[in-house]
Amino acid sequence: MPYELISGCQAAALAVQRAGVELVAAYPITPQTAIVETLASFEARGELKGEFVSVESEYSALSCCNGAVAAGARVFTATSSHGLAYMHEMIQWCSGARFPIVMVNVNRTVGAPWVLDPDQGDSLSQRDTGWLQIYCANAQEVFDIVLQSFVLAEELLLPTMVVFDGFYISHTYEPVDVPELEQSCEFVGPPKFKPQVAPGEQANLHGLSSGETQLQLVRKRHEDMLKAPATFSAINEKFNRLFGRSYEALEAVIPDGARTAFLAAGSTAETVRWFLPELKGCGLIQLRMFRPFPAEELARVVEKHDLERLVIIDRNCSTGTGGYFAQEAKAALYGVDRRPVVQDLVLAGGIDLTVDILAHAAEKGPESGLTAIQWGVDLR
Amino acid sequence: MKVTGYSMENEMMYSGHNACPGCGGALTVRYLTRALGPNLALAITASCWSIIAGAPPLTALKCPILHCPFPSAGAVGGGLRRGLNAKGHYDTTVVVLAGDGGTFDIGLQALSGAAQRNEDYIFICYDNEAYMNTGMQTSSATPFGARTSTRPYPLFKHGQKKDIMRIMAAHGIPYAATASLAFPQDMENKLRKAQEMKGFRFMHVLSPCPPGWGTESSDTIHLSRLAVSTNFYPLFEIIGGNKWRMTYYPEKTRTPLKEYLEAQRRFRQVDETTIEALQEEVDHDWEGLLKRVGTSPEETQEAPEK
Amino acid sequence: MSAKTEQAVFEYARGYQPSSLNKTGGWRVAAPEKIQRLSPCRSDCLLHSDVPDWMEAVKGERWEEAWQIMSRTNPFPSLTGHVCFSPCMENCNRGRLDQELDVPAVERAIGQWRFDHYEPPERGEEAKGPVAVVGSGPAGLSCAYYLAVEGYRVTVFERSYTVGGMLALGIPEYRLPREVLDRELSILEEEGIKFVTNRTLGKDLQLPELTGEFEEVFLATGAWLPRVEKLPGMDKKGVFHALDFLSMVNTRQHPELKDPVVVIGGGNAAVDSARCALRLNGINHVSLVYRRSRAEMPAYSPEVEAAEREGVELIFNANPGLIEADDGTGQITGVVFNYSKTNREGLVVDKSRSFNKNCGSVILALGQEADHSVFGRLEQKMPLFAGGDLVTGPATVTEAIRAGRLGAQGIMARIENRAAPDLYGFSEQPVAFEELNLIARTDLELKDRHADPALEAARCLGCGTCNSCGVCYLFCPDLAVDWINNSFELDLDYCKGCGICVVECPARALTLEGGC
Repeated sequence: MPYELISGCQAAALAVQRAGVELVAAYPITPQTAIVETLASFEARGELKGEFVSVESEYSALSCCNGAVAAGARVFTATSSHGLAYMHEMIQWCSGARFPIVMVNVNRTVGAPWVLDPDQGDSLSQRDTGWLQIYCANAQEVFDIVLQSFVLAEELLLPTMVVFDGFYISHTYEPVDVPELEQSCEFVGPPKFKPQVAPGEQANLHGLSSGETQLQLVRKRHEDMLKAPATFSAINEKFNRLFGRSYEALEAVIPDGARTAFLAAGSTAETVRWFLPELKGCGLIQLRMFRPFPAEELARVVEKHDLERLVIIDRNCSTGTGGYFAQEAKAALYGVDRRPVVQDLVLAGGIDLTVDILAHAAEKGPESGLTAIQWGVDLR
Repeated sequence: MKVTGYSMENEMMYSGHNACPGCGGALTVRYLTRALGPNLALAITASCWSIIAGAPPLTALKCPILHCPFPSAGAVGGGLRRGLNAKGHYDTTVVVLAGDGGTFDIGLQALSGAAQRNEDYIFICYDNEAYMNTGMQTSSATPFGARTSTRPYPLFKHGQKKDIMRIMAAHGIPYAATASLAFPQDMENKLRKAQEMKGFRFMHVLSPCPPGWGTESSDTIHLSRLAVSTNFYPLFEIIGGNKWRMTYYPEKTRTPLKEYLEAQRRFRQVDETTIEALQEEVDHDWEGLLKRVGTSPEETQEAPEK
Repeated sequence: MSAKTEQAVFEYARGYQPSSLNKTGGWRVAAPEKIQRLSPCRSDCLLHSDVPDWMEAVKGERWEEAWQIMSRTNPFPSLTGHVCFSPCMENCNRGRLDQELDVPAVERAIGQWRFDHYEPPERGEEAKGPVAVVGSGPAGLSCAYYLAVEGYRVTVFERSYTVGGMLALGIPEYRLPREVLDRELSILEEEGIKFVTNRTLGKDLQLPELTGEFEEVFLATGAWLPRVEKLPGMDKKGVFHALDFLSMVNTRQHPELKDPVVVIGGGNAAVDSARCALRLNGINHVSLVYRRSRAEMPAYSPEVEAAEREGVELIFNANPGLIEADDGTGQITGVVFNYSKTNREGLVVDKSRSFNKNCGSVILALGQEADHSVFGRLEQKMPLFAGGDLVTGPATVTEAIRAGRLGAQGIMARIENRAAPDLYGFSEQPVAFEELNLIARTDLELKDRHADPALEAARCLGCGTCNSCGVCYLFCPDLAVDWINNSFELDLDYCKGCGICVVECPARALTLEGGC
C-alpha cells in the first residue's frame, strides 16, 4: 500500500472523509486550520460525501453538529484551545444528550497570554464533561483512531474527542498508510444509531428533568463509558484484520528489569519510544485512552513489572495541583500495595521534549517524596 | 380567521402544558404548529417554552422537540435541517423557537451567522420583552420605560428596544415578518407563506406575559391588539431584505400610546414627559416604516386582512 | 442497572407521553361559564321568543331544534313571519354594522320546515280536558294548540263559517296568503283540535252551557265592533266599516265600491282597507285621510310606505265633519273635512277651515272594540279564562298568540291543580351594541342580507348568547375549549381560568363570576 506524506491535520481530514461523514461544521483556529481547509478542498473536488458548513464560532460549530446528529447524521468538528473552551457548555450538553459526535482537538495552550505551542490543558480541562478522550502520538494514529472513533462513539452513544499535539503532530509531515475509500467504508459502515428526532414521533428531547432522573442518566452514562476499553479493543481487533494494525488503550513497552517507566500521552510518548534504547532501565507506558482512565490496566502493568518509579510526562499543569496525568495516575494506583514513586515532569506550555530532559528525569528522582513536580526547563 | 376544523385532532398542541394562564407564548406555538404542522421538527432554546413543553415523560406537542442551550438556537436549526436532509426527510419543516433572549441577546451571534449562511429553516422569536422564564430580567428587547427585576422601581429600562427586524433585513434573508396574536389569520398567512420558501425565514411575534408585564391574564389578546393599533408594533413583512410590505393598517384614528402603556403595571412609573417622548418615538418609527413600505398604502398593500 | 431499567430511563427522559396527562384544571381560581344575557330582539319581541337560540339552530341547519325552540313561545312562525311587525328588528345590533337580521324571513323558513315535516302525533287513549275555546283567531288557535300538544281535548267555536278570525277575515291576502293559513289550520286539525263553525256566543251558544259541558273555557272573541263615532251621513249608502269591508274582500264577496274611495283612519285596518280597495277592479283612486300627522299614525310604517308606493293618496291632519250624499239616490258624493292637529290639550279641530273630498265610497276605520254583551251574566264560579283583543282591545296577532299560550298554561295549571307558571318579564337591560366585542370576530364580512335562511341566520351576532363564533376556541392558550354536541364547551380538566375567552367573547356570553 502506498504511503502518503501528510501532516497530522491532513490525516485527520482524510479519516473524516473516509468515514463518510454527513456534516462537518467547523470554525478555524490555529493549529487546526489545516483540517478544515483540507476538508474544504475535498468538498471542492467533490470528494466529500457530506456537507461542509463554515460557521461563525466554535460554539455554533458544535451546536450545528448537535442539530444534525439529533436527526441521525454522522457529524464531525475540530477545534483547539480557545475554541474548545468556548464550546464548553455545548460539550457538556452533547454527552448528556448522548450524541455520538467525533471531535478532533488539536492541543494548544489556552491563554492568557497568547501562546501557540501545544499544551494539553485545553482538552484535559474538559476531562469531566463525559466525553471519551483518546490521545494520538503520531499522524498514523491520528488517521486510524479518528476513523475508529466513529464506530466507538456510535456504539456507546458517547461523544469522542481525539486529541493530538499542535505543531508537533498537526504540522509535521509523516508517512501514513491511508486505506482506500471502499475498505474504510467497509470498516466504518453507515451510521446505525437511532435518530432522536424522528419526524412524526412526538418527543420532548432533553427537556426539564428531575434530579432523580438525572441520577439514573448519569449512572447509565458512567456505566456505558466504562465499557469503552472493551469496545475499543473489539474495534481494534476488526481494524487489525482489515488493515494489519491495532492499538491498545494503554500500551506498555517495558524491557525486562526496568524499574522506571515513563507515562506519556501524545507526541511525548513517541519521543520516549524513540529514545528508549538510550534510557537504561526505563520503559514506556503510552496512554491513549484517557477517558475513561484505564486504571485497572495501569495498576496491572505496575504490579506486573514491579515498577518503583513512574515518571509522568505532563504537557500540562493544573495550577496548584500539578500535571493532570500524574493526578490521574496517582488516583489509579491508590489501591496498589507497592505504589511506585511518582515523578511529575511538567512541560506545560509545550516546550520541546529533548533527550536531555528525559535523561535527567531518569537520573534524578524527585527531591521530596512522592509528589514533587519537576519543571521541564530545570532539566535541560 | 375562519375557525375551521373545530376539532382537537387538527391541533398540534396538547392541553396540560405548563404555561401560565393567559400566556402569549403558548398561543404563539399553538398557532405556529397548527399552521406548519404536522410534519414538523422544533428546536427550542432556553426560554419559557423549555418549561412549557412539559417535563419528560410528558411532551406538549405532537411533533418532536429538541431542546438546546441558550446561545445555540441559530446554529442548531441549521444542523437539524441538514441532518434531516441527510436522512431523506426533505419535507419536514424545521422551526427554531427562541425567546427574546435567545434572539436579541445571547442568541444574536448564532442567529446572525445562520441568517448570513441562509440556513434553510424558520426562526420564530416569541418576544415577551424580558427574560421572563428566569424572573423578568431586562433584555435588549425590553422597551424603554419598562421596569424589570434588574431595573426595579424607581429604575426602568433605558435604551430603545433593539430593532430586530432591521437587523434581519440587513442580512438580506428571503423573508422576515412580524405577527400579533390578535391577528391570527395574518399570522397564519405569513407562516404558510414562509413555509413555501427556502432559505432563512424569520418571524417576530409579540407575546404578552401577564406576570411580567403586570397585566391580567385575560388581557393577552387585548394587549396584542392594542400594540398594533397604537403603531407600537406594526404588522409587516420584508421580502428579500429590501421589499417592505405592510400587512395591516390600523384605522385612521390611531390609538394613543398612553392607552397601551397604562394597561401594564410595568410602565407605571413612566411620567407624562416620557410618555410624550415615547409617543414621538413611535410616530417617528412609523413614519420611517411607511417610507420603507412605499409611497402610498394602496400601492403596496393588498386588501387589509384582519 | 438492568437493561430494562436502562431502557425505561431513556424512554422516560425522552418525553414521549402527551402532556394531556397533566390536568391543569386544578390551577384555576375561577371557571368561565356560559351565561345568557338579554338580547335586544328577545327583549323587544312581544312573545319574548328566544330569537338568538333558534337563529343558532337555523345557522347549523338543525331545523328540528329550531322548531322546538320556536314553538316554545310561537307555534305559528309561518303566520307571524308574514304578519308580525317585527319589533325585534328595530334594535337589532347587526343593524349598526350593515343590515339588521331579516328575522321574519328566518321565521318563515322555520314555518316552512314545520309544514314540510309535520307528522300527526299518536295520542294515547287517555285524553285530558275537555276545554272549550270561543273564537278561532290567533289567541284562540294558540290556546288550542298548547292544550292539544299536552294531550287535552279541545273544541274551538267560531261564529263565522270560516276559521281564523282576524287572520282569515281582517288581514288581506297579499299580507297573509290563504294557503299558508289553510296549512296551519290543517295541522291544528291533525293535532286533534275540533273546530265548530257557525256558532255565535250569545245566540246559539251560551256560556252556562259551555261551562257546564267543558272543564275550562277560554274566551278569545276579539275586538270586532266598530267604534261608533257620531259622524253625520255615516248611515248613507256607500259607507263601509273597515272590518266588514276586509271580511268581504277575504271571503270573495264583492263589496260595492264606487271610485274614488276615501278611507278614514290611521291604524292598520285603515291602511289594509286602502290597499285592498285599490286592488279592486274599477277602483283607480284611493285616499287615506287621518286626523293627526304621519308621525302619529299608529299603523306600521312599512305598510304605510307600501300604500304610498302603490299610489294611495295620504292626507293628514284632516278630521271628518260630514258625509254628503245625493238627496235622490241616497248614494254618498263626498266628505267634508276640517283641519285638525294635536296639541298639548289633545286633538284640536278647526271648524273654520275645511275642504271637500269627492268620493263614491267611504271606508271608516275608526277603531274596534270588544263586544262584552255576548257573555250574558257572568258568575264567579264559572271556569273562565280570556285573552287577546277581547281583553286588551285591538292589538297584534303576536300578542294574541302570547295570550293564548298564557291562557293554556293557566288552564292546565288549574285542571292539574298546580301553580301556574309566572308571567315573566325582564329586569335586565338588553346587550347594547357598544358592549359587544366585535373586533374579535375577524371572520365578520359586512354584507347585506342573504337569501338563504341558514346564511342569514349566520349573520346573527348572538348578543348575550353563545352563537358558536369560535373566538373562545381560537384564543384559548390551553386548548381547553372543545366542540361537543354542536356547541363550544369548556374543558374544565384543563382550563386554567385565565379569562381570555371571557374578555374576548364577541357576544359577551361568558362570565368569570362563578366559582371553580
